[in-house]
Amino acid sequence: MSDIGPDLSLVPVRQLVSSPVDVVFRLAPGDRSLVAAGDSVVVGAPIAQRLRDPRLDELTVPASATPHPGRRWVAPSETRDGGAVGGEFVFGWRGRWRVATGDIVDPLEVPFAGIVRDVRPGTSITVRAAGRGIRGVVVLGGPTRGRLHATPDGELRASSLDIASAGTILVVGSRVDAETLTRARAMGVRGVIVTGLSSKERRDYLASEARQRSALHRLPPFAVLVLEGAVRRPLAGGIMMALTALVGHEVAIVADPPMLIFDVPNLQVVPPPVDVVRIRGGSQAGREGRFVEAIGLRRFDGGVHLEAGLIRFADGSTAAVPIGDLERFV
Amino acid sequence: MTTEPKAFLTQDSGAATIAAALVGRVDGRWRLIGSLSLPAGAAPDAAAMVLLDRVRIADPNMATALGLDGARPSDLPRVEVASRPPRRLAVIAGSERALEPLVAAASRSGWHTVAASPEATDPLAMSTMLLDASVDGILAGAGMPPAADERRALGELGALLAAAAERRPEMTVVLAGGMGEQLATFGDTSARPSPVVVAAAAETGDAGAALRAVLLDLGLASDDSRRALGAATLSLAEILDRRVDLVEIGFDGGTRVGAWPALGTESSGVNLAVVPAAGLAPSDPDDAVVDRVATWSTAAGDRHRLRDRLRELRIAPWADVAGDGVELRLGAARAALASLADWTPDWFDRPAPDLVVATGGVWSIASGPSVVLAVVDVLRRSGASQYALDHARLLAPLGAIADPTERRAVMTDLADDLLAPLGAVVTPSGLRPGRRVGALQLHGGSGTREHELRPGGLSLIDLPPGEAATAELLFHDTVRLGGRGRRFAVDVTGGLGGLLVDLRDVPLRLPDRADLRGELLMSWQAAVAPQRKP
Repeated sequence: MSDIGPDLSLVPVRQLVSSPVDVVFRLAPGDRSLVAAGDSVVVGAPIAQRLRDPRLDELTVPASATPHPGRRWVAPSETRDGGAVGGEFVFGWRGRWRVATGDIVDPLEVPFAGIVRDVRPGTSITVRAAGRGIRGVVVLGGPTRGRLHATPDGELRASSLDIASAGTILVVGSRVDAETLTRARAMGVRGVIVTGLSSKERRDYLASEARQRSALHRLPPFAVLVLEGAVRRPLAGGIMMALTALVGHEVAIVADPPMLIFDVPNLQVVPPPVDVVRIRGGSQAGREGRFVEAIGLRRFDGGVHLEAGLIRFADGSTAAVPIGDLERFV
Repeated sequence: MTTEPKAFLTQDSGAATIAAALVGRVDGRWRLIGSLSLPAGAAPDAAAMVLLDRVRIADPNMATALGLDGARPSDLPRVEVASRPPRRLAVIAGSERALEPLVAAASRSGWHTVAASPEATDPLAMSTMLLDASVDGILAGAGMPPAADERRALGELGALLAAAAERRPEMTVVLAGGMGEQLATFGDTSARPSPVVVAAAAETGDAGAALRAVLLDLGLASDDSRRALGAATLSLAEILDRRVDLVEIGFDGGTRVGAWPALGTESSGVNLAVVPAAGLAPSDPDDAVVDRVATWSTAAGDRHRLRDRLRELRIAPWADVAGDGVELRLGAARAALASLADWTPDWFDRPAPDLVVATGGVWSIASGPSVVLAVVDVLRRSGASQYALDHARLLAPLGAIADPTERRAVMTDLADDLLAPLGAVVTPSGLRPGRRVGALQLHGGSGTREHELRPGGLSLIDLPPGEAATAELLFHDTVRLGGRGRRFAVDVTGGLGGLLVDLRDVPLRLPDRADLRGELLMSWQAAVAPQRKP
């Protein structure tokens, strides 16, 4: 509340750009970490091997192998012909050890440069990204990386996708359907950034994703970053400006936290003026204006009384808007 | 509060709402001066600052008397509580049968749960579950003594558990009942940063209270608002000398508290259930959640649209309230109440309380009668009770006052201010179908009024806040209203919703068809709040 009035401080705040960003990559028992805390990683570096179809083998292990929960078990055959991938001691019972192992591993590559903060075998690897992030509400799929590209009119239809989009992360604006997402993935697009994804499209896309995951030939990583929610609304002005400035740059999408990460040190992302607020709900959703003052309790549609603020729009008109429908970026 | 302040602030910071109140000393007693609820995400002191400004503008003399001239929120003492997202507990047992009471105990003790037993889950999946980064603690239990179907699995389960606990030393482990025998498997637990706790076995009803108390203690922080609601409700029961039930629906969970005063040789007491599954806006509105909300929804629309709106409610709980946002929230609140009821089935065997208090951010947008209707729609018990609303969200902060004597003194002063009277509800059960089932005579200060009682509906009788009356009910057949009989006389006090005579089924039966159900729900809403218009 140092440089803004008490009235404006009532409006919920949203961070435009976050820094630093700690990204968590989940592991399961048997997955093999290839990094240690403190390691630097570059873009595309493999940080772990994930077991595709893990199983639990019961083995008699000599004491010389120093079995311990979480330690790696090296299969004898692995040293001879590389035929097995080894595994991880899970627990011992009645003199024998249960070891999580499998036959096929998938590499887990980090889509940004950073420093490994923490490694917990069987649980997670945490990497602090070199760069900043724009937070969303959910990511489906990922992690992924690509060159950011904005669709010309903020709309993306399945028919408008072609192979020229391969390797890009597309900013598609307010909403997208499952068919377009599926086709985008098939075309080699690395990701899609959208304001809202409805539950139906989300369900349909996830079903398609599950079918793809079970296929033998896998497509490159693909992620959908949903910035706002489940209904159609335009991108916030501040976020749109940041994304526009990032067009042509390499960016990454990660799931935990759901975020777009970019490492462009010279890029200045200037938040909107402090009194600019955005209406995120209600009949005027998506509009932006300047916050004039808090006007106390007001009666709104449906007979409900809510704390409200007076907003002045660019065309000079004003409106009383519930404080709960407002947000401002810092 | 050691230097005799003239005013203090309370703040209840939730995941969705920040509720602040200003309490001042007026004429030698504490009074509520003002309160304000705002969306979470605003500056921490914003609500308190606006509150102080409004008091200074509205009554400068009082502001001066309370020492508020030029005061900032940081200048005033403050009683503060917060509710945080529930943590996740991995529950394991030797059999699916043994798992059930453990999950039931944890789910009403402030924890989200994931559960597995060797009967349905292989050891690798179980280890994956225990090592998952989203899991904050482990509850492993068995009967006392363990039953035959559990005993053969306990050894391997203990080894798996000890290995996982060794890899996640930050996790608290609770060994309940017969699982306590596996403590030796954990080796020296004194060096662990988090404890390994041996607790009583999981049981239903009062027998399981010991384990639930341990889980509540581990699950809730010392300044947790839901923990404080237990203490506040107990003090309220002692002050009013009444049985008090409290129902809270919050963004991330619901709370049910039952408190009773000392009676004869029996001391006062309280039961507290904190149910994360009873949150207004579950993080992932799956089919079960959507169905539950749809059951109570009056708005037409498909399931995908409803799921979209529930997702939006989770992301921005205060956005889009105007218009049909209230109906969505009251539908979601009823769904949450139903979940609260599911996890506290033993509550229905108790006698109806004298006073039911509703609290939580969701009620602040609804009219008083709508709040009463939402609660009685779902938490149905035969009997007569007063209903009130914790309108300023004062109860939780006051419950955080550590000294019970001081808490009672402050709450005694504030008793007239902290609860908004919503009215009285009389709910007989066991009514037979027919055109008329009896009559009600209301004897009050303005004389006697008579009303016909028709089964299956709601009758709203005007009774202003604070007005006491005696409702005399005469039924043609024997019904249950506390006890069984045909003639009853109950003392009632009015409120914003007057006196509501609820002659609907106990429990409520709703039509399967959505359109018929919607019409019925709207007719009940119209019966208690006919003035609701855009």
